[in-house]
Amino acid sequence: MSDLSNMRNIGISAHIDSGKTTLTERILYYCNRIHAIHEVRGKDGVGATMDSMELEKERGITIASAATNVTWKDKEINIIDTPGHVDFTIEVERSLRVLDGAILILDSVSGVQSQSITVDRQMKRYNVPRIAFVNKCDRAGANPYRVKDQLVNKLGLNAVMMQTPIGLEDKIEGVIDLIDMQAIYFDAGDDMIHPRYAEIPAELLAEAEEKREELLDAVSLVDDDLMEAMLEEAVTKEILVNAIRKATIALKLCPVFIGSAYKNKGIPPLLDAVNAYLPCPTDVENKALDLDNDEEEITLPSRDDLPPVVLGFKLEDGQYGQLTYIRVYQGVIKKGDELFNTRSRKKFKVGRLIKMHSNEMEDLTEVGCGEIAALFGVDCASGDTFCDPSLNYSMSSMFVPNTVISLSIEPVDKTASGNMAKALNRFTKEDPTFRTYVDPESNQTIIQGMGELHLEVYVERMKREYKAEVVVGQPEVAYREAISQKAEFNYTHKKQTGGSGQFARVAGYIEPIEHEEGEENPKDYEFIDKIKGGSIPTEYIPSCDKGFKMAMEKGTQIGFPVVNVRAVIVDGAWHPVDSSDMAFQTASLNAFREAYEKAKPVILEPIMKVEVTGPTEFQGNIFGSINQRRGIIVSSQEEGVSTVVIADVPLSEMFGYSTALRSMSQGKAEFTMELSKYGKVPQSVSTELKEKYQKQRAEANKK
Amino acid sequence: MEIQELIKSSPLRVFEESIDGGLGRGNLGVLVSRHGVGKTACLVHLATDKLLRGEQVIHVSFSGNVEHVINWYKEVFNEISEEKGMNNSSKVYSDILANRVVMNFSQETVSIDKVLNSLETLIKHGSFKADTILFDGYKLTKANVGDVRKIKAFAKKLNVEVWFSVSPIRKDVVYNEYGIPDTIDPYTEVVDIMIGLRMDEQLNKVVMTLVKEHDKKMTKLMGVCLDPKTMLISM
Repeated sequence: MSDLSNMRNIGISAHIDSGKTTLTERILYYCNRIHAIHEVRGKDGVGATMDSMELEKERGITIASAATNVTWKDKEINIIDTPGHVDFTIEVERSLRVLDGAILILDSVSGVQSQSITVDRQMKRYNVPRIAFVNKCDRAGANPYRVKDQLVNKLGLNAVMMQTPIGLEDKIEGVIDLIDMQAIYFDAGDDMIHPRYAEIPAELLAEAEEKREELLDAVSLVDDDLMEAMLEEAVTKEILVNAIRKATIALKLCPVFIGSAYKNKGIPPLLDAVNAYLPCPTDVENKALDLDNDEEEITLPSRDDLPPVVLGFKLEDGQYGQLTYIRVYQGVIKKGDELFNTRSRKKFKVGRLIKMHSNEMEDLTEVGCGEIAALFGVDCASGDTFCDPSLNYSMSSMFVPNTVISLSIEPVDKTASGNMAKALNRFTKEDPTFRTYVDPESNQTIIQGMGELHLEVYVERMKREYKAEVVVGQPEVAYREAISQKAEFNYTHKKQTGGSGQFARVAGYIEPIEHEEGEENPKDYEFIDKIKGGSIPTEYIPSCDKGFKMAMEKGTQIGFPVVNVRAVIVDGAWHPVDSSDMAFQTASLNAFREAYEKAKPVILEPIMKVEVTGPTEFQGNIFGSINQRRGIIVSSQEEGVSTVVIADVPLSEMFGYSTALRSMSQGKAEFTMELSKYGKVPQSVSTELKEKYQKQRAEANKK
Repeated sequence: MEIQELIKSSPLRVFEESIDGGLGRGNLGVLVSRHGVGKTACLVHLATDKLLRGEQVIHVSFSGNVEHVINWYKEVFNEISEEKGMNNSSKVYSDILANRVVMNFSQETVSIDKVLNSLETLIKHGSFKADTILFDGYKLTKANVGDVRKIKAFAKKLNVEVWFSVSPIRKDVVYNEYGIPDTIDPYTEVVDIMIGLRMDEQLNKVVMTLVKEHDKKMTKLMGVCLDPKTMLISM
């Protein structure tokens, strides 16, 4: 592909159940790649094409993102279908990294929901320009204008309507395009779903004109050319489209489109908008870090004639064997080329290269700049960078959130044990938020992840794909320990056991680090050296740092990591013969423990922001269920017959909530949750946790 | 400054004195003015004062934007804590949040009976022992005296204080010299305390006038007003 202006790499992300998979399916259909439309929960059991994993078909949710290539009019579009469930946000984050633009789907009735806010925050982090699609306009209570207002109020986007509806709810017929000022109906072609352009119905003209004025006003505020044209009353379509494109790419505007994927309304204009307003690879700046030059930032020009830089953003071990989804940021890669994995420091040869069209693939001989493709049989982890051997770049590391929940798993027999190891090895490479380790005390295999569903899915995949049957333990919450006040230490480590002894003294204090609300990547630990006059020699300062870090790995309250501590050393003593790196580490470790007890340690637990949506008649049950779970109701919002309740609830109380909620609401209420913050556990729970920890330790000591 | 001291020195004490010790449980208090004078801020300040005293508050909003209300609380709290140099403010704030619930209704689609029903559900099933309920932005144009009576009966039944903010949206409304619109007249009888808010250009302050106190009608200038900069009740 030589002309990059004809390429779009886009993602589709949104709240669960707002219709991503259906929309993707329709896009594929309109682009003529597949010939039958199936529902996510298809009655025919075929299932939408993007959900290639069996499990996804069963649950009706999209878990893994597959990259799919389509062509719309003269442009090639790579679509990444991203998961909607918040437990899988790492997948969303990873796909955002390789995207140039995105479609943010919103439900016409529920509008901006808590997860739309999360997804939007991620898009802001990776500077992804977006257009919004208000889907499900055929639903009762559909109100695209309200959703647009929410985009403005809740997400702070400069959202502006690009279309107005022709009928809503069950009367939805089409849309009015505010650029060309024409009506678009979707009843042409053999299948009666292709666009038919017509004059705007007289009764809708006033509304359309008003919205076009709003559109012009909004765009002219961020584009001087348009402003000028408006003053001279010389606005042409070209000027307007250009202005919208520029503003969208600069993240100054979020054009809003409407329709119903399910009813085949509004898809072709949305695809036109992808072509018109979302960036091509050369419109966005991509950066890499030069590992040979102190991680200096380097801009990667999207040019074919430079040595290749490629990011492996997704691994999949599917029916075709091991696939690595890649994006080429610079240069071209060909079959047989040698590439260098800058993380593992290993070279490998490019074998089979393919492009995925949903469940079918196309073999390629080369992949050019800006393209998304897949490699066969490369041993790597997701997020690895592959370069020409002459380069040593790494695409900037991706933000990986901490896990909040863990689960012990035990294979049922020997075969299962071997298969489980294989499966875990694969999963941890695929998904950085899925971690595993063997607990040295209980000798159990522990898996860690972002939520109950996240881990459940992996346990099921182990069973289905790897025939590894495992017994699952009780889920455990990732607690943290912290201090609540400043405390001093002055510890001398002295040992004389013949030969050279050990001597080190460290003095100073530890204090809590206060975090501002909404701080990005807050620091969990800080080390400050205030030693004057060399009372601890410079060479041993890092040893002190190490000692504190070691102490913080496991707190003394319940054995969980300690966070938010600033350790400051102000004084110390050393001995020319007996002091060593080890001695200072040990002294610092014990100094920390000494001060820790005095600093009023507390136990922190993950608090989830839970959003429950359901019919108002079950409001009492919903309130009650939150109250029973130590939750704090933050707000409730009632509109017509449905209520949205937002609450802060400790994760430890949320286990089994989906079942409980289903049974108390006749299956009509649903919920999503995400980590909101870490909060102090109440005294009673804290005592309980401590007792349990003491008991476990006592038992471990007996063995 | 410690919380106890902060509460004692709050201008809200003067506010309460001006209405003879406070609104009292089972009663209905109303703040009225033109649009944009600062009633929401005023209500939020009232609520924050109660929260700081350990009481529980339900903020009922009809604006459709919960975040907006939550942000008001954040801002009002920050103003107070900065002005008074509050100790340990982030902890105080997270503590008081547990005692506040924001409920939002669309007045178009949810009847007052349903609103009160939801409030009762929250108080009973959600075990939220509300002391005060605020009705923010309730449109009297879409309500009638009967609805307000229902709210008053509710306040009595659950033994809570209810504060209202009202600003007419109709253009033909006539305001008197205290900022009281003529459209409020039919409701005066149901209300226990009514306070008019009016921007005084000369003083550059929003002046508060008590026009009804339980059975007595009057026009008494309150000892406090709204600072137009911070929108807080001040001396």
